[in-house]
Amino acid sequence: MAPDSLVPRMSSAPTLAPPSFAAWAGTVAELCRQVEQLVPLAAALGAEDPAARGWYAALFGKLKPQVSREPLLVAAVCGGTNTGKSLITNTLVGAAISRSVPEAARTLHPVASLAPGVAARTDLAALFPGFTPVPWTSEADAVDATAVDVLVWREDLAGTQPERLVVLDTPDIDGTLRVNWHRAELVRTAADVVVAVLTQQKYNDAAVRDFFAAAVAAGKTLIVVFNMVDWPRQRERIAGWLATFTAETAAVPAAVYAAPHDFAAAEAGRITLHPLPELTPDGTAVPLAERLSTGDFDRIKRQAMAGALRVVADPEHGLGAWLDGLDRAAAGWRDAQRLLEREGRVQVELPAPPREIVWDEVWRWLEPRRSAIDLVVSGGYRTVGQGLSWAARRLGVGRTAAERKEDFTATELEALKRALADFVDRLDDACRRDTRLAARLAPRLATADRSAWYADLERRHAALPLVSEDYRTFVRTELDKFAAANPGMVKAVLTGLTVGSVVRPVMTIALFSAGAAAVPAAAGVLHHVLDFGVTVAAPLAGEGAVAAAAQGIRPLIERLFAGWSAERGRILAETLHDVVLGDGVAEIASLAEAGRRPEIARARQLLVECSRESA
Amino acid sequence: MESSSPTSLPESAVEPDFASFDLLVDALGRWSESGPAWPPARGVRSEWEEIAPRLERARRELARVLVVGVVGGTGTGKSTLVNALAAGEVTAAGDVARPTTVQPVVVAARDVDVSWLPLDAMSARLVRSDSPAVANIVLVDCPDPDTQDFQDGPADPSRPSAGNRNRDVLEAVLPACDVLLLVATAQKYRSWIVAREVAAFAPGRPLFFVQTHASRDPDIRADWKRELESQGFDVPRIYRIDGVEAAARSAARLEPEPEFRDLVAAIDGELAGRAARRVRRTGALDLAAWFTRQARTGSAPTAAPVAALVSGVETERKRLEGILARSIGETLRANRSAWQRLIGDDVVARWHGGPFASFLHVIAAAGSFWSRVRPGAGVVGRLLAGRPIDATCRDGGWRAVEELGLPAAEVEQSRSVLAGLAARAGMHAPLVGRARLDDAAAATATSALVDRAGQWLSAGIDRLVAERRSRVGRPVVHWVFEVLFSALLVTVLVRAGWNFFHGNLWQGGPVSGIGFLEEALVWVILWGLVLRWLIMWLVRVGLDRDIQSLVGSVASSQLIDPLLADFAAAASACSSWLDEGARLAAEADRLADVSGETPGLGRLRRPTS
Repeated sequence: MAPDSLVPRMSSAPTLAPPSFAAWAGTVAELCRQVEQLVPLAAALGAEDPAARGWYAALFGKLKPQVSREPLLVAAVCGGTNTGKSLITNTLVGAAISRSVPEAARTLHPVASLAPGVAARTDLAALFPGFTPVPWTSEADAVDATAVDVLVWREDLAGTQPERLVVLDTPDIDGTLRVNWHRAELVRTAADVVVAVLTQQKYNDAAVRDFFAAAVAAGKTLIVVFNMVDWPRQRERIAGWLATFTAETAAVPAAVYAAPHDFAAAEAGRITLHPLPELTPDGTAVPLAERLSTGDFDRIKRQAMAGALRVVADPEHGLGAWLDGLDRAAAGWRDAQRLLEREGRVQVELPAPPREIVWDEVWRWLEPRRSAIDLVVSGGYRTVGQGLSWAARRLGVGRTAAERKEDFTATELEALKRALADFVDRLDDACRRDTRLAARLAPRLATADRSAWYADLERRHAALPLVSEDYRTFVRTELDKFAAANPGMVKAVLTGLTVGSVVRPVMTIALFSAGAAAVPAAAGVLHHVLDFGVTVAAPLAGEGAVAAAAQGIRPLIERLFAGWSAERGRILAETLHDVVLGDGVAEIASLAEAGRRPEIARARQLLVECSRESA
Repeated sequence: MESSSPTSLPESAVEPDFASFDLLVDALGRWSESGPAWPPARGVRSEWEEIAPRLERARRELARVLVVGVVGGTGTGKSTLVNALAAGEVTAAGDVARPTTVQPVVVAARDVDVSWLPLDAMSARLVRSDSPAVANIVLVDCPDPDTQDFQDGPADPSRPSAGNRNRDVLEAVLPACDVLLLVATAQKYRSWIVAREVAAFAPGRPLFFVQTHASRDPDIRADWKRELESQGFDVPRIYRIDGVEAAARSAARLEPEPEFRDLVAAIDGELAGRAARRVRRTGALDLAAWFTRQARTGSAPTAAPVAALVSGVETERKRLEGILARSIGETLRANRSAWQRLIGDDVVARWHGGPFASFLHVIAAAGSFWSRVRPGAGVVGRLLAGRPIDATCRDGGWRAVEELGLPAAEVEQSRSVLAGLAARAGMHAPLVGRARLDDAAAATATSALVDRAGQWLSAGIDRLVAERRSRVGRPVVHWVFEVLFSALLVTVLVRAGWNFFHGNLWQGGPVSGIGFLEEALVWVILWGLVLRWLIMWLVRVGLDRDIQSLVGSVASSQLIDPLLADFAAAASACSSWLDEGARLAAEADRLADVSGETPGLGRLRRPTS
């Protein structure tokens, strides 16, 4: 960076805008919009919160508010606790705008001195994001502990302040109140010129060094004031102190001043600032107030804007690195989703359904299509079958249809509950293995009342009739399709069902639609329930299977049973979605997709454009 | 032990405190090391490993001189103050460059043995001094905490400060210090980094507070006191001195200024000789109290989840017991005939010597054939069939438990609910198992459950049977039935005799012959069966109520415990660990409150956040 001298020159008709300036301002504004949209996404992805980063402050605290506004030059007086910032500010503006007290860390709010009329035509809230501007009432405003994030402003009544200059007193940068540091950083970001107030106790403190090094990196023009100097005894020490300070911060101060330690003068609100021309690059001894009011505003402003852009575009710590972080986070979510896909899959061994459930539906469909003789014959079969089962019940080896249904629903509920327990266990395990999943799902899994999940499953199960309208429709559709394709085989369907066939349905509940790959052969049915795939295979077994295979209707019958079981499985998927996971799964899926969001690519493109246009 | 120094307290007034302090430290050690494998307990254990050596040292080295560490921000005049106290230029001081002190300087009187001080670990230099102010203490000029970079990562090598390790050195020196002398100026008394470092080392270390630069800076003691109090310190006094002036006066052998003289007097009065014991004991008690408070703060958020787990275990145990009791009751009630056989056979087996008894034995012999054809199913069936629980039942896994009437799904539901509660309390494997038991764990748990259930049920059934047997099987009942049965027999015989003697021999009628006896036998058998039914009815009366009361005792039999054992054990371990922690915290607070006052010294009273 070139040594920066504030050449005494009144700038008339100031203009910051080069020809392409409007376009550049537009690019910056759009970049800000894209980043604003990405911030909530970053929070959801668990990527770094940009609010604490320098590039974010430079973009939203400097470029965005200042790129399209009246180019005011902001000079901020900054330093550690009790180093005399308020006193120096008062001296600079020639009025007691900020109270100077012996106790440390008392200035809680920045105080700005403006030229007359500036407040009326400038949106101060936009110029200083993070603060609520309030008009000055007394010098005690700066130390008011009840106010929160305010910026006190006062117009210079004497009329000596240059029209475009804003001078600010800031809170400390190293005290026990961390909120003060944050406020000082916001002011520093908005500033073009930083007046660093140093003392022999504090010029090499880490907090002080870090603060001013950041100002230098952001292209601010730095003016150093050594305060509380044992004058003139310590005058020759200052060069050494300054050398340490500049080596630490990479600063090239535009000018250096010394203020003698004079307790009585400070009490009276007076302070003398001695220029140190031997340490000032242009070798002049211009008083600080004059230097501030007569500098080359446009060059300083441009330098600060370019510095801010440099911070934003920094390949290691800038916006680009943050966008890379978003990509990495999204990739992490993709891994998490894959893990969940692998683990979030439960196989349920359902009990064999009572045959008559499916059988009755088929019978109802067949009825109008059958001849009288058929009806008599199969009616006879039915009667014989009923007689046989009556005899079996009498012998104590058979159960009534109602008892069989009762047994079935009890066993089925047990199977579903075991599946739910297994599923939750797998989710717990997946959360232990993946911190992202843990962050997203573990709160749900750990804080919920799990007995409510089981109660919900029981309620849904009790509410689901054994044969629903949906299933009736399914059977009719399947049979109609079959009848259309195989007109001669309708009667064989009945045979296939009546001969003692047994099904052993196996259901798989899987997160996302991973279940699709698991549908085994033609016998399976896949239901998509919200985020879940419910897959059921119901292979036919027993002598009926042989008969059905011989007739070629085996796939149809298997589908009819599988369809029925899949509907039963839905309730588990619904419980999982509605009460266990909520939208957690959908959120994970959308986060895994986040890497492909157009805003990220657009922000990268705008960043490149911004840097090119400013060059 | 120092015995020559004047003592204001009799030995006996001090000793009991030491005894209870020793007990407290032992109890804290046991508590910290015996915690369950649980994050809060692990945190406490690692914290304990840090402070245990300090407490141990406090007990062991009660009489050695105190080490006073002079700490504060750079440029506050620590070295100048040390020089003033040591009455000579023992350490470099000044305004040429910050920081001035990079190597700690240990100042001790010539006759004080400091071989126990780890000078190498402190990277310190030892200087001997004859100054009376340091005659009874060891003074350490510490490096500042505020010139080293905040960031822990690699510093920018182009900065000269990249090599600054002052805070690291400070953190190596402070553990050796017993007392801190905190130095601040108007510019530095609100320094965040100094406050952070002091807060980290203040627990158990009494402090002096000194404002320096008195000749240049305004008096900020009132504000500093407020600031310190807001950080949790007791601040009895802040000394305000000018180090440069004091050093100049002591070099010139001039009378010191009053504040400096007070400071020297306070150091001597509070820290030397017998007072050192009191300071050390107070410090150790403060440290113990601080540790227990810290431990309680750390584990406080888990108290509610642990309590929820404890009550959750109870709820789930009750729920599973309810299911088990209901279905065992149903099975017992459904096996009416088995009961009947069990009790009836038992009763009959004890009746001898009578026609009815003989009749019943014949029936039982025939009936036993039937019971062998249809053996009872499951544990209950086996027991009712009079057979013991054997290995085949125990090794049946979930099947055996389900036969008892407790579906695996219900057990898994309970374990899943408890796993959620445990996760909320931060408990994970190996403290608790997973919701779904693996095969080995399931086999152990189910066989234990079947075993317990078998013992409980067979004891209950035996009791029930014995009770009924004693009611129905009494001799008087037996003889009533014998009389009833014999009455028909006698009637038949009398009728046959009458028929033969009176009808045939006397009146000459025809002999009724074998036909009458056949007919009579049928009646006798029928009558016997009626009486047998009556016995069975007596057996059955009130059985439902008795089964109900048997099943009601399921709660006291702890059948379910093996299935939820890991959760129950973890909940009780963590909850009693928390309780013990609360008890120790109260004890430590009590001891710290009654411990001797150190009127001139500041103390950190409550844990810093």
